[in-house]
Amino acid sequence: MTMKRKPLAARAADAIGLAYVGAVYVFLLLPIAVIVLMSLNAGEFLTFPPQGISLRWFGALFANEAFMRAIGTSLQVAAIATVCSSVIGVAGALYVVRHATRLREGLRMMLMLPLMLPEILTAIALLFFLYASGIGTRTMFGLVVGHVLVTLPYVFTNVASALYNQDGTLEQAARSLGASPWRAFVRVTLPLIKPGIITGALFAFVISFDLFNMSLLLKGIGMTTLPLQLFDYLRWDFDPTAAAVSTVSIVVTLVAVICVDRTVGLRSLRFG
Amino acid sequence: MNAVMTAEAPVHGADRLHGRRARKGRPGRGAFWLIAPALVLIGVFLVLPYLNIIGMSLRPTAVGAPYGAGFTLANYANALGDGYILGVLADTLLLGVTTVPICLLLGYPVAYHLARTRSRWGGLLYVLVLSPLLVGVVVRSFGWLILLSGNGVINRALIDLGLISTALQLMNNRLGVTIALVHVFLPFMILPLVGVIQSIDPTLEQAARSLGASRLKVFWRLVLPMSWPGIQAGTSLVFVLTLSAYVTPVMLGGAQVKTMSVLVVQNLIDNFQWPAGAAQALVLSACGMVAVWLYARLTGRFMKGLQ
Repeated sequence: MTMKRKPLAARAADAIGLAYVGAVYVFLLLPIAVIVLMSLNAGEFLTFPPQGISLRWFGALFANEAFMRAIGTSLQVAAIATVCSSVIGVAGALYVVRHATRLREGLRMMLMLPLMLPEILTAIALLFFLYASGIGTRTMFGLVVGHVLVTLPYVFTNVASALYNQDGTLEQAARSLGASPWRAFVRVTLPLIKPGIITGALFAFVISFDLFNMSLLLKGIGMTTLPLQLFDYLRWDFDPTAAAVSTVSIVVTLVAVICVDRTVGLRSLRFG
Repeated sequence: MNAVMTAEAPVHGADRLHGRRARKGRPGRGAFWLIAPALVLIGVFLVLPYLNIIGMSLRPTAVGAPYGAGFTLANYANALGDGYILGVLADTLLLGVTTVPICLLLGYPVAYHLARTRSRWGGLLYVLVLSPLLVGVVVRSFGWLILLSGNGVINRALIDLGLISTALQLMNNRLGVTIALVHVFLPFMILPLVGVIQSIDPTLEQAARSLGASRLKVFWRLVLPMSWPGIQAGTSLVFVLTLSAYVTPVMLGGAQVKTMSVLVVQNLIDNFQWPAGAAQALVLSACGMVAVWLYARLTGRFMKGLQ
């Protein structure tokens, strides 16, 4: 590093430290890597090492009606939840960053609240409330509300940090030049905070797609999402079809992560 | 609705403030509709339901319906007087107490490395840290199932290498649940730490080193005390998350490891005993809050001692 070479002991310590950090990264990645590997297994069972490479279990997955329906339900719920939490979250962030004064910190805390409360407790609370208020779980309403609650903080925090990064003088310039508030928002603010919105929305989609506790308690009949279906499947079966469907779920996440990387860079991701 | 009212009231009341803002060209009251949907959502579908849980926990149980009419404290008496439930509660707290230090030991070096690295792979490493959060909890637990089961990857590898002759019991016990919980919650330990360590000026460390302090001493006397807020945040977060984990204990603990969340969901869905489940959930939350409060007090004193 510097002009003088580090002494041997220091270099050894560096190497041990790096190996330790590397081992933790392996630990983080291990279960995910093993699933992808297993889904390509040509053999009958989830055995290691895989007996050859094949896509047969993806074929089995596409022929499995319950899984395909669950993927459809998950995509649908995640899409609706993402649109709702994006609209609510962007508007909320605009107010908190641009308009709120004394209440700013309190409002920010309030919008982040769903993230700070345990998901399972929120789901239980919502279940009671839906029942008590007569809304019930026959429609998809309760399920979507639960997903919007959990995903809202991700949109809010990403959009708010994008708004903080530019001070609003451009909007004021547009306004003073005669643009209506809506026009100033669409033509000036929106393009500037677009990366924050994209990141927040993609994050919301991924979180909603994988949400389990909320769906477990709030689903109605025929609203089995992918994580629920996988959970049920694994109670009785333990074959590579489960690995194939997990790989599909991992790929959905991966696509979202690559999109974030291409649009804004991964470092700008806000998580809580 | 209540939340909307209380949040709006000061804006209406503070005409002086509003006037000042209007002069600056920043509409205050006029823009209120921006925050209204979020406040309605959180007020109606989060704050009210949480208040409603307390009401539910005071309802009597009923046959053929989730709960009966009237109010009673019997659910709390049952939860706190039942040796089995108290045992499950103790097990849940113990799981939290074991998961937290392991997360800290694994997470701190990674956080330090991630905060200080100038590698162009920094973004990728960041995603690796986030990956357990981005991949669904059922998928992650399934991954550990493949790794840890009796005929799983780890046992196979150890047998093939001749290190063991019979398969080790790696899951359907506390060990399996703890491994998977550490994996799931490690990001919540690492992320707050990265933020705090990044805010420590690296020149401070260099100055201390150039004044003759050993690396260990620099870490012990400078970096560790300065990263204490991150440690406190991360450990509290992981502890609370562990207490409320549901999927991981069910999938990796089998029938052997029962946590409060599992018990509560069982009472709600299988037994249809809503008041009992509500009371148990609130007892668990209260224990979690008291534990975090005690921890913050104790570590606060320790932190003062370090400085």
